[in-house]
Amino acid sequence: MILEALADFLTVSELGGVVVNGLAKSALYVMIASGLTLIFGLMGVLNFAHGSLTMVGAYLGGLLMVVTVSGGTPPLTRLALFFVAVVVAFALLSVLGGAIETTIIRPLYDRPPIYQILLTFGLTLVIEEVVRIVLDVYGLQPISDWQAALATKPQFLREPVALGPVSVGWMAMFQILLGTLTVAGIWAFLTKTRYGLYIRAGSEDAEMASALGIDVRQVFTVVFALGIGLAGAAGTLLMWDPTWGASVPLAAETLLPAFIVVIVGGLGTFRGTVVAALVVGMTDAVTTWWFQNAIEFTGLPELVLFLVLVVTLIVRPQGLFGVEEVGGH
Amino acid sequence: MYDVLLNSPVSAEAQTLLPTVETMVGVLYFGLFAISFDFVSGYTGYLSFGHAVFYGTGAYTVILVANGKVPLLGPGTPFMLSLLVGGLLAVVLAILVGLVSFRLSGVYFAMITLGFAQVLYVFVRGWDYVANNPRDGPAVGPSHVEGFQIGVPGVDQLSLAIGVLTGDEVSLLGSTLSSTAVSYYMVGLVVLGCYFAMQRIIHSPFGRVLLAIRENEERAVAVGYNTYLYKLGAFAISGFFAAVAGGLFAGFRRSASPENSFYFLVTGDALLASIIGGFGTLAGPLYGRLFDETVREFLSPAGQGGGLLPYLRALLGQETLDAAVVGNETVGGLIDLLLNGHASLYVGIVFVLFVLYVPDGLLGTLRSRVGGTFAEAVPARIWGDDR
Repeated sequence: MILEALADFLTVSELGGVVVNGLAKSALYVMIASGLTLIFGLMGVLNFAHGSLTMVGAYLGGLLMVVTVSGGTPPLTRLALFFVAVVVAFALLSVLGGAIETTIIRPLYDRPPIYQILLTFGLTLVIEEVVRIVLDVYGLQPISDWQAALATKPQFLREPVALGPVSVGWMAMFQILLGTLTVAGIWAFLTKTRYGLYIRAGSEDAEMASALGIDVRQVFTVVFALGIGLAGAAGTLLMWDPTWGASVPLAAETLLPAFIVVIVGGLGTFRGTVVAALVVGMTDAVTTWWFQNAIEFTGLPELVLFLVLVVTLIVRPQGLFGVEEVGGH
Repeated sequence: MYDVLLNSPVSAEAQTLLPTVETMVGVLYFGLFAISFDFVSGYTGYLSFGHAVFYGTGAYTVILVANGKVPLLGPGTPFMLSLLVGGLLAVVLAILVGLVSFRLSGVYFAMITLGFAQVLYVFVRGWDYVANNPRDGPAVGPSHVEGFQIGVPGVDQLSLAIGVLTGDEVSLLGSTLSSTAVSYYMVGLVVLGCYFAMQRIIHSPFGRVLLAIRENEERAVAVGYNTYLYKLGAFAISGFFAAVAGGLFAGFRRSASPENSFYFLVTGDALLASIIGGFGTLAGPLYGRLFDETVREFLSPAGQGGGLLPYLRALLGQETLDAAVVGNETVGGLIDLLLNGHASLYVGIVFVLFVLYVPDGLLGTLRSRVGGTFAEAVPARIWGDDR
């Protein structure tokens, strides 16, 4: 039976579908994890609240879409509004991130790194409960996906498209496009702008950078804000994906894969995160196919993802592209 | 005690402020889990973020033994023995996980233990051998209808069963202790024994080495200690007691689910208790859990016990409750919105404040205030230092 499934798996149409789905998943993973990796690389803060902020982003983006889109809105307008929603979620969460950094994270830089983990963990509880209260007011179910937000997705994104023999969803193509844009944007920001230079210098050696006249404290705030903003943008995208959707458990669902991607890639390297997202996304797609077609174990994709994490840490503790010193505290 | 207070003139206030006896049993077994978490994380400085896996192992072992699903151990196996078996299983697991994990440190250690724990969590959630519906977790089946007995196995006079419905009631000096109260004392007995054992270990030369590892591992190595073995030992011991805590939890509740035993947020709760109570104080996490649960229950909906919500409702009266504040939202609706089931919000705020302003936790701060542990400081205060 396994052999039959293997033969089936290796046909062009199936394999092609798996690759495209894998790329789409990778795109989502890179969007979820890039904010986390930026923050960790520069500041050494492992942000446990990242998942919760992604979830907030999903609800914010959903809210904007639900308010602006009505039944008769044409698909292209919906797409345009979606990009507006992404930008707005990014901006609002950046402001929130900046506020969080300056008020409660800044006093903790002198303490052992465990306190930043603890603090952001506490933050998660607060954020999730606040979201629950707000949902309560509007009579929404916190556990199940927000259907009204899902319904704002234009019809054509639900339909499959044929690429030669391979049939893939438009949604997957859309996600790949957005993921590529995000990666390109962050890469350009890090390597082509002056601020990106500051960030790279700060990641390398914060003390030296500040000795050279860079206001590292300000850079910290900006990077934290940007990282949180990215979480918000990722959340907005997830809101349209039926397998994720805007819900309160989304926080934990995104936090763990984000950790896997960041750790596998190596803490603090953006290149590593991108490669790791590809690895994790592909693994996810392949195991999902096997689970759907051959193996009857429900948790298979999740199980294998955590195995990837464990094996990476055993074989190459600093991650694929990690440098030993970064985050070695 | 609880009953006495409830029948006293301050009964309304007592019911509002005090957690129920059932909650207190939970405080005990979860407190033990938090203590075991503190034993390894607080003393060696290695954050064991997958600690829930040991708790889950203990819980699942007890239930599976009672359901006759563990080879060699029938459903009639004494509870104390299955606690021990669960503990030993956790020790084996801890050594296996620790062997690879202790090559790493800091964030990486936290992440690899988290990874292992989540692998097992996902596995248990999908393994249909453990329960008909593994997602909901197993419950004690018809092969073990009687309560789990804590005491000396085989000697009926020296054992008492625990559980809300299945526990024993005891008549003592003219008053009857309910099954929950009996559970409280019996679980408390085990927890106290475990605490003393861990306290003894921490104050032994072995425990000193753990502290040395936390303060400066390189120096501990330089002095000649094989820190790897010490860390592994601490991890195994801590895993054992975490599993005992899990076993008590399963014995009292008679069911467990992956979400409340193996999931990483269970470890998060232990972390919460440890920080609030005091990291690296051993006893602190129990008080931390007590504090946490008291706040939660104080702010919980009108289920069991009291809490602020029913108290406020009774105090304010129907007319005040129906008065409109903002738009069509009434006072009653507003306090319901803010207090009903949102205790996590307040616990989270308290937690953040503790991390920011009370980093030593309740017990840690008190200890540094009196200068040493209470057992030493209080007599010194009373009799002077020249004992």
